[in-house]
Amino acid sequence: MTARKSDSHLPRKRQRAAKIPPGVYPVFAAKDAARLLRVLNDPQTIAEAALVIVGKAEELRTAVINHIERMDDAARRSSFSEVFDQAHEIRGLAGCAGLAATGRIANILCKYLDAMGRAGALPEPSVVTLHLVAIARAAHAEDEATRLGDTVANELAALVDKKLAEINDSATH
Amino acid sequence: MSGATFDNLVALVVEDNVHMRTLLRSLLLALGMKNVFEATNGEDAFVVLRERKPDLILTDLSMKPIDGIEFTHEVRSSHKSPNPYVPIIMITGHTERHRVEAARDAGVTEFLAKPITAQNLFLRIVEIVERPRPFVRAGEYFGPDRRRRADENYHGPWRRYEDIRDDTEIR
Repeated sequence: MTARKSDSHLPRKRQRAAKIPPGVYPVFAAKDAARLLRVLNDPQTIAEAALVIVGKAEELRTAVINHIERMDDAARRSSFSEVFDQAHEIRGLAGCAGLAATGRIANILCKYLDAMGRAGALPEPSVVTLHLVAIARAAHAEDEATRLGDTVANELAALVDKKLAEINDSATH
Repeated sequence: MSGATFDNLVALVVEDNVHMRTLLRSLLLALGMKNVFEATNGEDAFVVLRERKPDLILTDLSMKPIDGIEFTHEVRSSHKSPNPYVPIIMITGHTERHRVEAARDAGVTEFLAKPITAQNLFLRIVEIVERPRPFVRAGEYFGPDRRRRADENYHGPWRRYEDIRDDTEIR
């Protein structure tokens, strides 16, 4: 029996790309586009829209606290996919709630859980718990935007990088 | 506010988190948009899309039963889609590289990572209005051109037929 010769040396089949320029497909009418751009670039509009977010901060903060409670509950049941879902909601809302460090730590936890899931490895409960404690503390702190919150986020980011490097090392050896 | 209103423009916000959905709607209303419709997932959004024919879509990524990526695929490729060219801004907390690439390959026009700011959202809309990109149909892909800029230092791999030049190294 003879082995089939690999065809990897052959050029990959190229695809002919059909391009459809704007204007051939429908775009914003020139008049609307000009008016929209004027409004979108108006500093006053931007400032007032930013106030819309500030006005929602309290509501969003309450939502973040509720997601933290659900995330803690999911962690107690070792349901890491649910922990990820809740952390994901937190990272999405926290920034607009004025809880920047909370969002940052939730993002690090998401990054860790996502990478572990993709590597087919189980998350370490102690790493998850560290994040949960830090998220809860940051969200409940009176002055969340403190150096302490940033320091904790940096430490956790370093820890997660180390853990992910370990996973990569074990995968390549 | 600028006082400008856009009575003829229609926007669709697709987001399962009620707080974020309300926030996005409020930001579009602050722009002067009057017709802002909402959906909580990709399945419902497609129904609204067919009924309201939006000029702009803001969508989340993670939603059930149909997420933002599948929804974008449907908008771009389904024969039932009323406007496969409609600008789609994907707004998500998923910043992992593989998810951003999946969104790009589904055909989103712009990607905006949460937490959002009014300025960042408006910048994405400016990009859509001021510099609309050509649409490309190549193989399985249909959507805005994923090559945003020409990079002189890029040396391949070259995938498109029209990329072939005399000095092109074939990989």
